[in-house]
Amino acid sequence: MGDQKKLLIIDDDAEILAALDNYLRKKNYNVSIAANGLDGLKLLESEPGRFDLIITDLVMPSISGVAIIAIAKKKFPDIPVIAITGWGEHPEALATEAEADLVMEKPFELSVLESKITEILSGKK
Amino acid sequence: MDKSDTPLIGVSQAIVKTKELIKHVAATGLNIVITGESGVGKEVVAQNLYYASPRKGKPFIKVNCAALPDGLLESELFGYERGAFTGAEKKKRGKFELADKGVLFLDEIGDMSILLQAKLLHVLQSGEFAPLGSEDDHKTDTWVLAATNQNLAQSIKNGTFRKDLYYRLNTVNIHLPPLRERREDIPFLIEYYLDFYKVQFKNKSFPKPDRNILEKLAAYHWPGNIRELQNVLQRLMVVGDFEAISREFNEQDKPVPDSAQRISNETEIAPPLPSSNPIEESVEPDFSNFSLKKIKKKAADKAEKKAIALVLSKTHWNRSKASKILQISYKTLLYKISELEIEPVGGL
Repeated sequence: MGDQKKLLIIDDDAEILAALDNYLRKKNYNVSIAANGLDGLKLLESEPGRFDLIITDLVMPSISGVAIIAIAKKKFPDIPVIAITGWGEHPEALATEAEADLVMEKPFELSVLESKITEILSGKK
Repeated sequence: MDKSDTPLIGVSQAIVKTKELIKHVAATGLNIVITGESGVGKEVVAQNLYYASPRKGKPFIKVNCAALPDGLLESELFGYERGAFTGAEKKKRGKFELADKGVLFLDEIGDMSILLQAKLLHVLQSGEFAPLGSEDDHKTDTWVLAATNQNLAQSIKNGTFRKDLYYRLNTVNIHLPPLRERREDIPFLIEYYLDFYKVQFKNKSFPKPDRNILEKLAAYHWPGNIRELQNVLQRLMVVGDFEAISREFNEQDKPVPDSAQRISNETEIAPPLPSSNPIEESVEPDFSNFSLKKIKKKAADKAEKKAIALVLSKTHWNRSKASKILQISYKTLLYKISELEIEPVGGL
């Protein structure tokens, strides 16, 4: 399982977090989850180089997804980031400005997300 | 309290989390909104962010967006060129210029007009601003921290706050809960401020409050939060008698109806301060008129009157000198003196 890709998923919506976690584990990813921005940031900073890709919700209390992307891109510019955003929220422009590699608007098919993950990860290496 | 390096005091979850947040975001330069009721210590958080950031040592400039009428706030923030408008006799540097490489702390951001919000958004997006009357854009590298006691999400729904500005500022949000929701912090705050005031009031032998009184203070609901607590402790220093103060708390400790509480949160219900500052003054807030515009105008007038009177008394009513210090024209000063009915105290 040496080539198992490591994902960090950050979302304050427990249901979405669980759904992504379940689905991507089944797809043979090594998944770490964080229920808020601060925990996500701590995971990210605890072991540099630990993650191959970050998926983050954009609108979260305290440390928003936009902040996560900005910090991640500054400290770990090689880790690609997918931003997911709820319908009717409009911080996408900011996410793009913070250099998210992809912004996906909810709702989306999990299979679409997975194919995007594969695409981004294969483009990277 | 104008001690510039005040630490965040307390052991509550909220304070522990706030400290952790500060540690993680202080070096990022991301825009931050600090929320919480009046008197909870939003400015202290801003200062702590500044001290933990690489901008420490550079300017920390604070602007209260509720204290100034719209046009004045705009010229405060962006400055103006000489001759930009009648009365602009010399160039004035705006806070964005003064705070360059440092921090601009925008307090009461929720009170900024929609028009100015658009201009602020432009600066945040482009890193450029133009002083009034100037054709050139100026670059600014300013870390903007904002604070408000309003619920900005609600303000967006009400149409008084721009959503795009909200998302840009609120990249990081630090919320400080009111003191009554973190009572475990109260004994630590009391200890810290008593020690501080002992030095300030040169009253080193002041005794520690006993358990009974601490419990009473911890049980009070503190609608004015830490600021109210500071005022009580300062008063205590002067009165010197825990019993007398604690008797008041028995009187005060009845539940306050919600609306009254909110009003007292918005204004400083501070009891009279034993202050050496001549500008301090304790007047019962007047709520006979709830027009925000009028309240604002009244407050602005009052602040202006105090400032002008102070400068005039310091300059022994040398109006020309005073107008220079106040950076207004001689004519404006004369007008203000008559409009605000400023008179020499002590017949100078």
